[in-house]
Amino acid sequence: MFLNSWSLGLTLAGLIILALGVFACRTAVRILRYWNPQSDSNLQIKLENEIWLASTLVEYGLGFQILSVVLFVLAADTFCQVIVGAMCATGALLANSYGMPALLVKLAGIFVYGFWIVLHKLDISSETYPLVRIKYIYLLFILPLLVADITLQTLYISFLSPDIITSCCAVVFGSSDKTGPNLLEGFSQATTIFLYYGTVIALTAMGYLLLKRWLVLLAALFSAGWIWFLGLAAIAIITVFSSYIYAMPYHNCPFCILKPEYNYIGFALYFTLIPASFFGLTTVLVEPFKTMNNLAGAVEKYQRGAISFSLILLLLLTALSSYHFLLYRISGGE
Amino acid sequence: MLPKGLEKQINILDFSLMSLWRRKLKNLGIMFVFALVIFLLGSFQMLTGALTNSAQAVLKNTPDITIQKMSAGRQEAIPLAHAEKLHSIYGIRAIIPRVWGYYFDESKLANYTIMALEHDSMPYGNNLNLTLAYGHFPKKTEIGKAVIGRSVHDILGLDKRRIFSLFRPDLTLKSFEVIGVFSQQTDLLSNDLIIMNLTDARDLFHIPELMATDICVYVTNPTEIETIAKKIAGLLPDTRVLTKSQIQKTYQVVFSWRSGLASICLLTALAAFAILAWDKASGMSPEEKREIGILKILGWETGDILAVRFWESVLVSVLAFLFGCTGAYIHVAFFDASLLKPIMVGWSVIYPSFKLLPSVTLADLLLIFTFSVLPYLGATVIPAWRSATVPPDSAIR
Repeated sequence: MFLNSWSLGLTLAGLIILALGVFACRTAVRILRYWNPQSDSNLQIKLENEIWLASTLVEYGLGFQILSVVLFVLAADTFCQVIVGAMCATGALLANSYGMPALLVKLAGIFVYGFWIVLHKLDISSETYPLVRIKYIYLLFILPLLVADITLQTLYISFLSPDIITSCCAVVFGSSDKTGPNLLEGFSQATTIFLYYGTVIALTAMGYLLLKRWLVLLAALFSAGWIWFLGLAAIAIITVFSSYIYAMPYHNCPFCILKPEYNYIGFALYFTLIPASFFGLTTVLVEPFKTMNNLAGAVEKYQRGAISFSLILLLLLTALSSYHFLLYRISGGE
Repeated sequence: MLPKGLEKQINILDFSLMSLWRRKLKNLGIMFVFALVIFLLGSFQMLTGALTNSAQAVLKNTPDITIQKMSAGRQEAIPLAHAEKLHSIYGIRAIIPRVWGYYFDESKLANYTIMALEHDSMPYGNNLNLTLAYGHFPKKTEIGKAVIGRSVHDILGLDKRRIFSLFRPDLTLKSFEVIGVFSQQTDLLSNDLIIMNLTDARDLFHIPELMATDICVYVTNPTEIETIAKKIAGLLPDTRVLTKSQIQKTYQVVFSWRSGLASICLLTALAAFAILAWDKASGMSPEEKREIGILKILGWETGDILAVRFWESVLVSVLAFLFGCTGAYIHVAFFDASLLKPIMVGWSVIYPSFKLLPSVTLADLLLIFTFSVLPYLGATVIPAWRSATVPPDSAIR
């Protein structure tokens, strides 16, 4: 189904991101081969300039990637109108086996490019560029991810034919007797809610303690807690909170909350959850670089910023996700 | 008090605005061309949305299931005896034979669609009268009466007169009296339509008695449509059974296919524009080089100059985006997308005069943004870096 403005837009965005990545990797190869901080040759000065190019390209790539994830979900939501049996983005993404992997790779991309930018910011805060090698080897590993991203997306679009019968979201995520596969059954609502709010409190407490006094083990626990919370929050949104937002007990879908009917609340949820997890996760990931020469100050500054930022976003997310839930519990719904 | 990083970005934004204004002619030129490209892309996207919406609104009243007789891969008249066989299926509310076809008016060079059915035996049949500007649908007993679309009314030049005539296949004349005209809302489907009695239509097309063009089936419970359609297909193997949702999907696929085709054509314009933007951004005048050299000597870093270039690109593309999208909205809403509509709805003489209701969602705007602003930013990033890394000593010498 390529002859469609959504497919074309996605492909165009994918190609632009890939082109930016290839240019950035060209710089990476040159730097890994010729980088010599002791030299003041023409080549070294040129390479120091090219560092700026690579970082700008990856920053643009990250911005475009965020846009492309949103576009991908919206495109799936449009495709569902022509795919028999699909009623929302879930059905369209499950129409062939490439839809969900493509979405997950795209989301993973945001984390991977984001972390590269963190490394870059740390690196340029020191005059000796201590992270140059690590940074550019890492950049070379991003390229396969980019290729996988655009390949999966292209496969998804090309194998999408408007005739296949797929399940709609009511079947996939809802509880039903024998109508089809059910992704998320067996999660009791009460347990999920308990775990969700428990984790929120635990993360807030750990973050607060870390801001008071730095402990590496606690930081590791904090970051691990964020990985756990990312999955848990996704499950909680699908199985619990979404049906309160829709005001329908059997409508459990992670994509329909992105629609204008629900005031785009899904964007607010995901745009707090994903950055919050990113900052929470990277808190401990930058720890090894503390030992590098004169990076300790910059790393510490970043960690403090990341913890406070993730906590602020966490509180926002809790407020946003609880709104419809509490509204129903307190005033009996709309 | 603003955070320090934000304050710096605001100052850089201020500088970029002034720097854009200093080179108004060049930047306004780029913005104008860019806005034009976005206008075309946006018009197509909004037009597709509007067409899909109006098709969906009108298709709400199509029969749940349509049965057509197929012979050698082509549709042909279906005997009414077929309808009798369906009475054994539970859940069917009404079975209505239809006669319809096209009539080419040689004197006016226009195609009309002729449609005949017993609207009084249809569920909600009386609601059909609501689609008329005035008058009512011809009843079973009203021979020689017709309801016509607005364009048919204009083309026949009826004005205040009520009588018109059409030729039978053997060139004898058959006259009709107008008893109603369709209203504007249903123009997409009813513009070229003439509705008449079954008996009259058979007479006009010389279709034998007890034959019809197709059979419409109405189902009581909408969730049973697919099952009943399957049963019908089993009972009448020589027919093609179409459901309402299939027809709706087909309309949507056709519209999105056409707009995709249009987007591909526009991609060439976009590529040309990206090359223009690249070229304009990399061809730096000596003054610009001097300016960057002076900024660097004053203590600006490469990153700051890159930020200036980034803000310049964002300002140009976002302004062009706003102008282009506003223009596209005006084009679709107030001028009925007159530049592009022939591509989307066909070129029949009768079509181009129905009213469009543009629907713009955030998703559409995001798609247009991806199509236009992303390539622009991508095309200007490398020239921006090149200009930011000009060595200051050689630039001001």
